Amino acid sequence: MEKQDEFYIGYVDEVGAQTKKSLKKFTFGAIGVLLLASFLFAFFQKPARASAFDFDTPTKISGTYFEVPYPMLRVKLGENAYKNILLLGFGKFGANNYVKDIREDVGDLNGKHLTIEGNLVYYNGKTLLQIDDSQKISLDEEIIVPPLKPSSLGHLEITGEIVDPKCYFGVMKPGFGKIHRSCAALCIAGGIPPVLVSSEKNEVSDYFLLADMKGNPLHKDILPYIGQPLQVGGKVEKIGDWHLLRIDVDSIIKMDKKSSIY
Amino acid sequence: MGLDYKLVLWNKHKKTYDKIIVLGMLAYLVLFFVLSFLINPELTAETVIIRAFGSLAILMLHIILAIGPLSRLNPQFLPILYNRRHLGVSMFLAAFIHGGISIFQFHALGSTNPIYAIFTSNMEYGSLTNFPFQVLGFLALLILFLMASTSHDFFLKNLSPRIWKGLHMLVYLAYALVVMHVFLGAFQQETSPFTMTFLILGFVTISGLHLVAAFKESKVDGLKSSVDDSGWLEVCNVNEIANNRAKIFTVAGERVAIFKYDGKLSAIHNVCKHQGGPLGEGKVVDGCITCPWHGYQYLPHNGQSPPPFTEKVITYELRLSNGIIYINPNGFSEGTEVKPLNY
Repeated sequence: MEKQDEFYIGYVDEVGAQTKKSLKKFTFGAIGVLLLASFLFAFFQKPARASAFDFDTPTKISGTYFEVPYPMLRVKLGENAYKNILLLGFGKFGANNYVKDIREDVGDLNGKHLTIEGNLVYYNGKTLLQIDDSQKISLDEEIIVPPLKPSSLGHLEITGEIVDPKCYFGVMKPGFGKIHRSCAALCIAGGIPPVLVSSEKNEVSDYFLLADMKGNPLHKDILPYIGQPLQVGGKVEKIGDWHLLRIDVDSIIKMDKKSSIY
Repeated sequence: MGLDYKLVLWNKHKKTYDKIIVLGMLAYLVLFFVLSFLINPELTAETVIIRAFGSLAILMLHIILAIGPLSRLNPQFLPILYNRRHLGVSMFLAAFIHGGISIFQFHALGSTNPIYAIFTSNMEYGSLTNFPFQVLGFLALLILFLMASTSHDFFLKNLSPRIWKGLHMLVYLAYALVVMHVFLGAFQQETSPFTMTFLILGFVTISGLHLVAAFKESKVDGLKSSVDDSGWLEVCNVNEIANNRAKIFTVAGERVAIFKYDGKLSAIHNVCKHQGGPLGEGKVVDGCITCPWHGYQYLPHNGQSPPPFTEKVITYELRLSNGIIYINPNGFSEGTEVKPLNY
């Protein structure tokens, strides 16, 4: 009877001894569960890779601009050594909006030497540059650079996942898979090139820029296939240190398995 | 109890309650951040924030959902119910940080309106594994927002307790949406048997507690009473009720609390006018029936809150014969004076 007579009223300061004991038990129990959960949720996260996005450090890059079919800057590293830097816009946009102004002044930009200040994104040998202001692009004096000739490597069947390279190569971790799919779809719809990341080793490359069979950019048509395991076949072309896969979107096969790329 | 509306009617217990909430949330977040960056230094801050606040919100939701049945099973847990709305609003804030940063990171800065993009950037609504799980989280966040923004007695009074309660019962829909959001989203990619088991155990615990509490209450509703010639119901022996306490009976489909105090018996409707608390689980304190949830008070002989308060509940007439209490199942209108029965 004594126990039942304890009665808690929120606006009365006194609390019965038995009630106090139960409250302590509940509080310590709940905080214990919270800490255990915090440990489990934090500990069992998949490891992130050392991809990078220099969002607070701008870098000036000079090189030859070309579009095959996506905007790139071909930067000379040494004698006969070049690196192709894929150009991107701010947020979920491609670079086209940012090169529009200078294109209007200069005409065809292909083969022109430009200096661009932007933020680097890089991982696993690939480098990309985010342009956040069209005023940060300038035309350099004519510098003669040997033309870039894509070379065909024949047909290839690749298993992998389509990502937006901006997030995948450094802006987000993870920048692939189901959680990131919507973001990747918005990025690619906004003009960022789609990239197929191979989940199995092949003799050519881990990464393929995707274009249609005629070599034109792919954006809207590829959206239903982003962020999930696929089998994609097409003609491979080598463009500097990138590879382009010309594909027929209708022939893409969705695979019923878990994503296994990084 | 309060006559006018203030943002928070602070008292000692509410302050302690809120300190524990803040301490618990901070402990969770600090441990999560430290462990994440120690074990996984390449993770970005946005990812860790999204994960920390999302997982914290779902855990707090479990604790919130456990409080109701726990306090029905053991009245000593009622103090945790007393200030549950502060826990609810804190949980919403954690969910809002998770949702807000996720929407900004994954859906903003593009050519599409971010809210529209939540619904349209993945159109595989017909698939289970590819389902746009963000939609589920967004709908849950909307429900939690509605609940958090109406978590005040001003809305309780102005929306009417029935509508307010209905709105706040949507927490179960929010919980279902959140569970599906996690299983069709994060767990499709960041799968670990430990975290998955943890959430399954959480679901089993919440469901189990609700079922046990419902079973306990069904015993009250299922109690059969015999009816005498005049239509009065025989309820119990006067000795079965503890002094200053009540027993609850279902009379003509309504729960009624019969209180025993100062050598008298009075019966009133069991449902508190504030938030629907079970008055029959309350106690007679300073001559007033006091609700176990938030301390709202009613006078036993007329079901009226003592002046200046204005709440009123239905009263019932009682009769005593050979130590057996009988009740007239036809209650009087709210606040009607009924002479207490002396025993």
